[in-house]
Amino acid sequence: MQLLGIRLPDNHFVKHALTQFYGIGNKTALRLCARVQIHERCRIRHLNQSQVTALTAFLSSPANSPPAAFQPLAPPNYVPPPLSQPVPAPAPREGEPVPADTLREIKIESDLRRQMRENIAHQRNIGSYVGRRHAMHLPVRGQRTQSNAKTARKLNRVERYN
Amino acid sequence: MSLVTALRSGRIAHAPAATLAPASAITLQSRGYAAPAKPAQKTASKFKSNKNKDKDKDKRGPRDSGAFRPMSVTNLTHPVFQSEQRTQLKLPVFRPEAITATAATKAMAFPHEESRALKAYGLPRNILVDYLLLAKPCSVVRQVTVDMLDQLDGAAASSSKDNRIVLTGKAGSGKSYLMLQAVQYCIQKQWLTLYIPRAISLVNSSTAYAYDARTQTYGQPAFAQQLLKRFADVNAALLQSLTVQNSYPLEDRTVPTGAPLADLINVGAEFQNYAPTVLNAMLDELALQTKYPVLLAVDDFQALYCTSQYRDPFFRSVKSYHLMLPRALLEFASGKKTLARGAFLGALSMQDTKYRPPLELIEALGLEPLGPSNPYVPRLPELVEYAKGLKNFPVPEQLTVDEAASIYDVWQQSKALHIPLADEMFLAKYTEANGNAGRFVKHGLLETVAM
Repeated sequence: MQLLGIRLPDNHFVKHALTQFYGIGNKTALRLCARVQIHERCRIRHLNQSQVTALTAFLSSPANSPPAAFQPLAPPNYVPPPLSQPVPAPAPREGEPVPADTLREIKIESDLRRQMRENIAHQRNIGSYVGRRHAMHLPVRGQRTQSNAKTARKLNRVERYN
Repeated sequence: MSLVTALRSGRIAHAPAATLAPASAITLQSRGYAAPAKPAQKTASKFKSNKNKDKDKDKRGPRDSGAFRPMSVTNLTHPVFQSEQRTQLKLPVFRPEAITATAATKAMAFPHEESRALKAYGLPRNILVDYLLLAKPCSVVRQVTVDMLDQLDGAAASSSKDNRIVLTGKAGSGKSYLMLQAVQYCIQKQWLTLYIPRAISLVNSSTAYAYDARTQTYGQPAFAQQLLKRFADVNAALLQSLTVQNSYPLEDRTVPTGAPLADLINVGAEFQNYAPTVLNAMLDELALQTKYPVLLAVDDFQALYCTSQYRDPFFRSVKSYHLMLPRALLEFASGKKTLARGAFLGALSMQDTKYRPPLELIEALGLEPLGPSNPYVPRLPELVEYAKGLKNFPVPEQLTVDEAASIYDVWQQSKALHIPLADEMFLAKYTEANGNAGRFVKHGLLETVAM
């Protein structure tokens, strides 16, 4: 299945396949599945249309996604209303705080790459040590350079690709 | 490679007797208990590694270990296979009339036509492994079987409030087999039977879940739909004479009072989104009716008291009583809801270490605690409520020598073992296992067959 330009193999678990997105690791993927009510053993081919739509809507822009559905859970002595009556909209009980929705603050894909580039560019602009090291393609965090700085020499740039 | 993996991949050398007898009707149960019957199409992977190009491997199926490819009977043309000594496994048939005090220690086969529960509801994993090896699904009737079936006979006339039994005992003592015998007995005695062989699959996040705003719990539509179909299949004859005592107005259809119960079940079996509501409604109807006694049998019963692996949208853990079906089962188990006629039967399972019986359940049953049990250890009041009034039915840890001898006979007759039919061998294996049934079969008898 293709989701926002990224191929998610049909046979993979959803909680693993979502890590194909840049900026989503195992933890975020699990939280995303819980938000959309996808169980842990669900594979990509088992997803129904509403779940795919919800995932797409969230991943296209996490900050502007609809807030997580508030789903109060019944205590053991709860008596549900009969089937004939309309169901009241779920509302938080008095004194019960609504937990924070931290998933909307994440950045993925191009937003995350842009944020990383901006951070490095900012360090360069203010003339900091970190900025100078990026500009010289050398290690930034105090590693040795007498030997073994190969990765830094290859990847550290001011205009870093990823 | 383990025995279970070999069996799962369908690759095991069948004993000669098994190929003679009609193939065991127990098919390999798929991993997903509520999975749809047709497997989805597999997309071919375009990636081909160069490593294995030069090796000439013959084509293998999925999950094929390469060992234990069964040969069909027509290929066995050599004279050594044309033996008059190949015999069918002959066992008395498991029938209610045959279960008497004298029948204890006899091995009995479950009847082929009437073993609906085995085919429809599925089996616990350990029993499934055994039945894939044996020629016929069978079990040994023990003294404890006779006792328990006597108790169930007494429960047929009374409400389930006094008949909430939990089978307890060490791992391998025979709780699941005892429950299977009880289910089979009740089906043959015209009870309405609902059997859940692996309650762990209800709470381990292996099936889809959906929030229901009316009950403020999570329903499991696919599982509920499958369970309704299986219940309707097993109890088809009895459901014809039952009618619904309340009316159930669902979103776009109503099941009125007086409609056949089968109609209500069909609504849930047809439409997955109604299935959890219909399942709960069906359980309420079964609780009200007095025409037939009802048996609710749940193996892996302790899983209903553990926190499930499901998460709510804020990633908080969902407790098992926040799921519709486990909640209904807990309410029947604790006596909050009662069946007018019938019993609730649960069996603990000590195999899975992720779903161990919690302290509240252990204390309610009067068992020895597995961990600390001082007053500073927290006990959830909800679980204490749900565990009230459960009756402990201990299954003896040791088989008697006669019972073990019957099991030994069954395995020898099915020609599944390569050991001589001798008393010394039997007593050696019995002693090594200390009389424990599970260890006797798995580590005593089956490990003589080199894998």
